[in-house]
Amino acid sequence: MKAAPFEHHEPTSVDEAVSLLESLDGPTVLSGGQSLVPMLRFRLANPDVVVDINGIEELGYLREEDGFLKLGALARHADVEGSELIAEKYGSFADAAPLVADPQIRNRGTVVGSVAQADPKGDWGSLLIAHDGEVVARGPDGERVIPADEFFLLPYDTALDEDELITEVRVPTPSDREGSAYHKLKRKTGDYAMAGVGVRLRFDDDGVIEAAGIGMTAVDITNARASDAEDHLEGERPTPDLFEAAGESAAEESHPESDEHGDAAYKERMVKVLTQRALGDAAERAGVVKQRRVSR
Amino acid sequence: MSETREITLTVNGTDHTIDVEPRKLLVHAIREDLDMTGTHIGCDTGNCGACTVLVDGEPLKSCLMFTAQADGSEVMTVEGMEDLPESDGDLHPLQEGFHEEHGLQCGYCTPGMIMSGKALLDENPDPSEEEIREAISGNLCRCTGYQNIVKSIEYAAEKLAAQPAADGGRIIAEELADAQTDGGADAGGGGEFTGYDIDDGEFTCGAENCCGGPTTDADHTGGGDT
Repeated sequence: MKAAPFEHHEPTSVDEAVSLLESLDGPTVLSGGQSLVPMLRFRLANPDVVVDINGIEELGYLREEDGFLKLGALARHADVEGSELIAEKYGSFADAAPLVADPQIRNRGTVVGSVAQADPKGDWGSLLIAHDGEVVARGPDGERVIPADEFFLLPYDTALDEDELITEVRVPTPSDREGSAYHKLKRKTGDYAMAGVGVRLRFDDDGVIEAAGIGMTAVDITNARASDAEDHLEGERPTPDLFEAAGESAAEESHPESDEHGDAAYKERMVKVLTQRALGDAAERAGVVKQRRVSR
Repeated sequence: MSETREITLTVNGTDHTIDVEPRKLLVHAIREDLDMTGTHIGCDTGNCGACTVLVDGEPLKSCLMFTAQADGSEVMTVEGMEDLPESDGDLHPLQEGFHEEHGLQCGYCTPGMIMSGKALLDENPDPSEEEIREAISGNLCRCTGYQNIVKSIEYAAEKLAAQPAADGGRIIAEELADAQTDGGADAGGGGEFTGYDIDDGEFTCGAENCCGGPTTDADHTGGGDT
């Protein structure tokens, strides 16, 4: 037996889960478990009580509703990967899903669980930021909506309270002239990102960038927004020079650490490159730019 | 100590009711409670995929979920491969592929590779090389360099495609019956195929651990390029 003993609760509704979280002492929520189970087995996490939400069928959704793309807490990475809706309208999500870990882990791990884990190397947080997304949590006092920008505090630390359950993450549905993309650099298939950049571009009818969102993975203490780069883009027409300048700006805003995979200067350069590439894809997907980027 | 709980797993078609602590990993229940040691534990970190099993048809890493979470589920392990209809009572085409194409050296990763291959071929009977490589990207092999594993899965895809229906492979059955008739052996009463019922020596290639042999005239010993 690897994990320390714990009490295992399996609620079948959100209400039941929330009341368990309120009444139990120091509960840990288990969803896909692809990060939490290893932490339990290595005893990096030693909760007395585990609230396993896998039996809450109402949380398994991925749908558009009320102007949002909504992912319930039990939407698995593989659900995103296999979704026609995602493939059609959410380029960045379609890019990111197959780059998360490996097929077995994508079958079990959840998008919301990854967001809740708040690993700075996690991919989904960057997309929530790029898309001005929100985290929806339920607690004893009801529902609370937390903007992505306010959610990630520190590595593995979020604005979520201990007695709150994330029921959903959501991003606004795109306009007709909007495109998004995610580019990720990793050492080998299935790895966490060495650097990753998610972007979203919305254009007005004249082809001018109306709104830009850029979220970065693995180059700061949390998933981070590149707001200077966004400012660079807004109000401008898409050109290779503009995207290069935005990439440079994002690189300056990033704070990667040197490690065995690359030094900080290298990762900053990669942020620039990944940003340029993602912007090129996003503009193309928005139907505004026809030409492909020339270098890869 | 935490309390145990009674759960039921259907493993390879057989129901097993066992008492487990909530903290017991699925792979440990499979290996230790059910004594099915075909499912391996490799890295203990969720990276290597040696513990891959199918849970309700989906490939999962059985070291990354607790047994209690699989309560009521259908689990398939490598031990179940020979019982599938397409195996016809012998090695499954995937297992045969690993044998024929030298898809293993030490064999430690093989059970996981076979389960990932099985999940792939269930979804996509005619995968490209790229799709095969993606499907086994959660399974690490330190011996082969993967090339022969890819070939093994391609072998299985081709063999399965040659089986005309999911009813147990009528064509193979007919071929067998014909082969036996041609060879002068008794084809069995009524022509109803009831599984491999081949006279000793009919399909032995000479190797001590002969896999049962090809069911056609294809060269059994030199098929490296097929």
